[in-house]
Amino acid sequence: MIAGAWLCLLAPLAGALTITLLGQASSRRTAAWISTVSVFTAFGGAVAAFIGLLGQGHEEREVVTSAWTWLATPNFQVDLSLLVDPLSVTMMLIVSGVGGLIVLYSIGYMDGDPEERRYFAYMSLFVFSMLLLVQAGNFLLLLAGWGLVGLASYLLIGFWHERAEAVAAAKKAFVMNAFGDATMALAFFVLIWQTGTLDFQASFEGAGGLSQTAVNLVALGLLGGAVAKSAQIPLHTWLPDAMEGPTPVSALIHAATMVTAGVYLIVRAHPIFELAPSISDLAAGLGAITLLVAGLVALVQTDIKRVIAYSTMSQIGYMFLGAGLGAYGNSMFHLMTHAFFKALLFLAAGLVIHHLANEQDIRRMGGLRRVLPRTYIAFLVGSLALVGIPPLSGFFSKDSILASALASGGYGQILFVAGLVGTLLTGLYTFRLFFIVFLGEPSPLVAEHSSGHAGGHGHGEGPWTMTVPVAALTVLAVIGGWVQIAGVWHPFGEWLDPIAVGREHLALVEPSVVQDYVTSALAVGLGLLGMLIAWTLYGARTRPVPRNAALQETLEHKLWFDELYDLVFYRPAVLLTRGFRRGVEQPLIGGSISGVTLGTRGTAGAVGDAQTGYLRSYALVIALGVAVLVVVFITVQ
Amino acid sequence: MQGPDVVWYLVVAALLFSIGTAGVLLRRSPLIVLLSLEIMLNSANLALISFARHHGNHDGQIFALAVMAVAASEVVVGLGLIVAIARRRLDLDVDRLRMLRG
Amino acid sequence: MTTALIILPLAAALVVWLLPLPGRAVGSLALLAALAEVALWAVAVGGFDFERGLQLQDRQSWFSDLGVSYHVGFYGFSLFLAGLTVVVCTIAIAYAVWAGGDRGRAYHGLLLFLMGAIVGVFTAQDLLVFYAFFEAMLIPIYVLIGVWGGPRRLRATATFVIYTMAGSLLMLASIVVFGLSQDTFSLVDSGVSSNDWVFLGFLVAFAVKAPIFPFHGWLVDAYRESPPEVAAILSGVVSKAAVYGLLRIVIAKFPEPVEQYQAAIIAFATVGLIYASVLAFRAPDIRSVTAYSSMAQMGLIVIGLFSLNELGISGAIVQSVAHGLVSAILFLLAGMVEARTGTSAFVALGGMARGRPVLATLLMTTGIIALAVPGSVAFAGEFLILAGIYGVGWGWAAVGAAAIVLAAMYMLRLISAVLHTPRGIDALEDTPDVRRYELAILVPLVALLLVLSAWPASISERAFPLIADGQETEAAP
Repeated sequence: MIAGAWLCLLAPLAGALTITLLGQASSRRTAAWISTVSVFTAFGGAVAAFIGLLGQGHEEREVVTSAWTWLATPNFQVDLSLLVDPLSVTMMLIVSGVGGLIVLYSIGYMDGDPEERRYFAYMSLFVFSMLLLVQAGNFLLLLAGWGLVGLASYLLIGFWHERAEAVAAAKKAFVMNAFGDATMALAFFVLIWQTGTLDFQASFEGAGGLSQTAVNLVALGLLGGAVAKSAQIPLHTWLPDAMEGPTPVSALIHAATMVTAGVYLIVRAHPIFELAPSISDLAAGLGAITLLVAGLVALVQTDIKRVIAYSTMSQIGYMFLGAGLGAYGNSMFHLMTHAFFKALLFLAAGLVIHHLANEQDIRRMGGLRRVLPRTYIAFLVGSLALVGIPPLSGFFSKDSILASALASGGYGQILFVAGLVGTLLTGLYTFRLFFIVFLGEPSPLVAEHSSGHAGGHGHGEGPWTMTVPVAALTVLAVIGGWVQIAGVWHPFGEWLDPIAVGREHLALVEPSVVQDYVTSALAVGLGLLGMLIAWTLYGARTRPVPRNAALQETLEHKLWFDELYDLVFYRPAVLLTRGFRRGVEQPLIGGSISGVTLGTRGTAGAVGDAQTGYLRSYALVIALGVAVLVVVFITVQ
Repeated sequence: MQGPDVVWYLVVAALLFSIGTAGVLLRRSPLIVLLSLEIMLNSANLALISFARHHGNHDGQIFALAVMAVAASEVVVGLGLIVAIARRRLDLDVDRLRMLRG
Repeated sequence: MTTALIILPLAAALVVWLLPLPGRAVGSLALLAALAEVALWAVAVGGFDFERGLQLQDRQSWFSDLGVSYHVGFYGFSLFLAGLTVVVCTIAIAYAVWAGGDRGRAYHGLLLFLMGAIVGVFTAQDLLVFYAFFEAMLIPIYVLIGVWGGPRRLRATATFVIYTMAGSLLMLASIVVFGLSQDTFSLVDSGVSSNDWVFLGFLVAFAVKAPIFPFHGWLVDAYRESPPEVAAILSGVVSKAAVYGLLRIVIAKFPEPVEQYQAAIIAFATVGLIYASVLAFRAPDIRSVTAYSSMAQMGLIVIGLFSLNELGISGAIVQSVAHGLVSAILFLLAGMVEARTGTSAFVALGGMARGRPVLATLLMTTGIIALAVPGSVAFAGEFLILAGIYGVGWGWAAVGAAAIVLAAMYMLRLISAVLHTPRGIDALEDTPDVRRYELAILVPLVALLLVLSAWPASISERAFPLIADGQETEAAP
């Protein structure tokens, strides 16, 4: 089990290092396979850990293993330690499993790119970092993984570095995440000084003795990191831009794994969040706001990947909502199913983009159903799962979160309503995209790429390396939710339960069966209503799309967040720089040097006049000096 | 043997020193200036030795020897300079040799 | 042992100066001597017991009536600083061999001399010995910048001389007063002092060396005009003399004034940190960005030192080593870019990643570590420093954390401006990638950074015990 965990962590790292060190000595194809094999090896390790953990009793399912001391001072120590428990094993399985499929898919998708090796090295690095994040046995190591996934995300978003937008998007993503890293670090400082440790268990126990302010600070700092990483309002603007990266990257990092790390963090640190209920409520509230805003903005986006990106934000909003209210198991459940169907949607979108030679604008698409029939089915399954239509996976997981909200008192019920509205929006934007892209007559662009197959992409729906992962994810998106059916069986929740410390069950809320069914009925109904509206507007086109210029513009500008940040942060920073340079650096610091130089020169001129060059005047001065000294000595005595 | 009182030695030394000082300040020939310097140094030597004798302490004598050594080296350098100046056919006049003025 | 570490490079310098060897042989000889020095350092580490204080001492009375003695030895933390010195100087000499350049004998001799003097600074246990090595360290730098520097080298040298001279004189005055009042110049034997003026004299001298805002006027010119390898030593190693001085002299000998001025010092360091980070964000070329980032990092290190707790101080030591390696690599890379394109200005560069994977990988790796990505050794250092300063006041930690975001901004800008789009006028299609020899120069440093990233505790838990916790020493053998 422990060996499995270490294998899981280290295999992708070894893959990344091997590709980097081999450099041009390996062919591009070899690099791709090294990466794929390394990630699937990690999956094997995760499975081994899973089986090992299943073999343990419920109470012993928490194993900590340390390799060496990572950072230490005489009275403070952080080990390079892994924590293997149901929560981390779940994440390991998702990360390495979905990751493996997506890396495999990349072999076909990236084929022919001149810098394939670099791509696959980065992918392996990412999987390693993500595994470090979820396996970390203490907060500092978690932060290390946290930062490294941000790094991998930066590298991969900016992978096509000849595109200025990609580089800018990569930088934006990194800097916003650095902000989150910083708030997390501040939270850790509080923990270090108050509890003396960053180990999970010890610091959770220590946190019990802290003042409310201190706990709130810790929780707030952690939440800051979670919000930045999971692209929740107000630190969300980097995610849509991140779609500049290759599509498999969007599927892996910006849908299935990295962006859900915030949810993982909240669940992992739940004892702290439970001590700070106001911060937990804030998390849930931010989730609700994000899911609504992202759903609205998704309605007007025209880039196929950006629509899915906003949908990701929105779905993570649900997870935050659930995690903030204490429905940890349900949030993790949604995290898992979301990883399946959202990766599926991205990869299917990737097939479309691949087929259309990197065109991403849905206004130029249409009628792809006939051209890409299997992609059509995959996308349909993904969309239905996303909207939450039974019996697909999204239905079980999303509804369980909403039911928990319904069961969480007044505040929860407000969020519940928001979640329901979100369901309507989900149906609407998802099927708007689906109808525009796949139904109708083939657009000129589609026709051009489908006839003749001359553009080098004429291989039907893509090579097997691409279609097999999509097929696998399609199956998972269908059956992934069956591990937990409200009111019938809860193996997933029970599996996660042991991470709860000193409590019967992990979740703070347990909706009743009635609440579950009421929620499901409402959510499915609203989802179908959304689909119906989408059908009338975009599918059958029986009604024109309603327009409102001001609203449209606001949504297209994503509620002006980018402009706001530009105004509040970027411009003042530039002004400050200019102020420092013109106001301090040049006049004061540079000026002081010039001042010293000029002063020295002036003084030298004045003193130089005393040097007459007449020997006798020097001698006279010396003699007088001696005389004065003599007088002084005599008088002093 | 009881020589004259130490005061007399000092008077002679002071006289010599004044003569030397005047020479340095007033004469224009570098040779004479050098000569006057030697007089000043030797007046100091005289004072040192007389004090040494007066106090029955030999440090002064040792110091006088050191001064002689310094004086000798100084003369070497000084005379060398004077010869160099003469070779260049410059005026041997300290008032004209003022190229190093500020 | 310690004396051998100091003498070896000095003797090698003498040999290089005196023997009329041909150019190539001079380089090889210098490199060989430097490698021997690294080996010697490794031997010293092997014989060092990190559980104890001052070790590997050599002591000879010099002028006994003033209490001056030639006394050198290592503490745990200074052993790491010396290690940084020998490694970076060796790499710098290797770079100088690659870069060629005129008057090789003088040049290599000066580099070796500099190396010996810096090791001397990090081992000095007597104030006058410290001062002598400190000055001996500065003289080769004046010459290296003034003779082999860039087009504006004279101004750079003059500024550097003015600043460092002023600092040195203040330090000398403080040393004299301190030594006379203590009746000994030995750092081991002397007690503590509470004289504010003496304290300020030392403080300003080290603040110039670091540099700390507002004493950084010499910084940009010196780093931009010196040869790349000299800039690497200057920012990577020489600035750490300030760390040694602050820790060994200021903090150890002036506990009362340190406590009294703690807030003010931290405030200046914090202002410098933010100020330099902001300026780095708009600086026009690789060297200026690295220069300002160096200043920011030194601000951070000083913050760590003056947090006066074990977290902050060990963080400062870790960060000193990390920053020394990072800035050395960045300056050498800047030199390699300049050698190819004739410039390090961002407007003329760009798009260099395409077709130059080795350069891109090296710059990316170093830049990423420089901005302290979590998990790197620089992150470990910064984390400890900020955790330490959090114990003094949470506001300082918050500002420091903000500076980390700024660091991300300026380092990413540097990386993008050199490697990514758009291609600049001087980055031609056929500008070559990093070649094998250059790779051999840089890989040891990068590898060291990666190893330290995997195990920063190797430094952080060995930097103690410090002088501050009592005057633990053993009798010299």
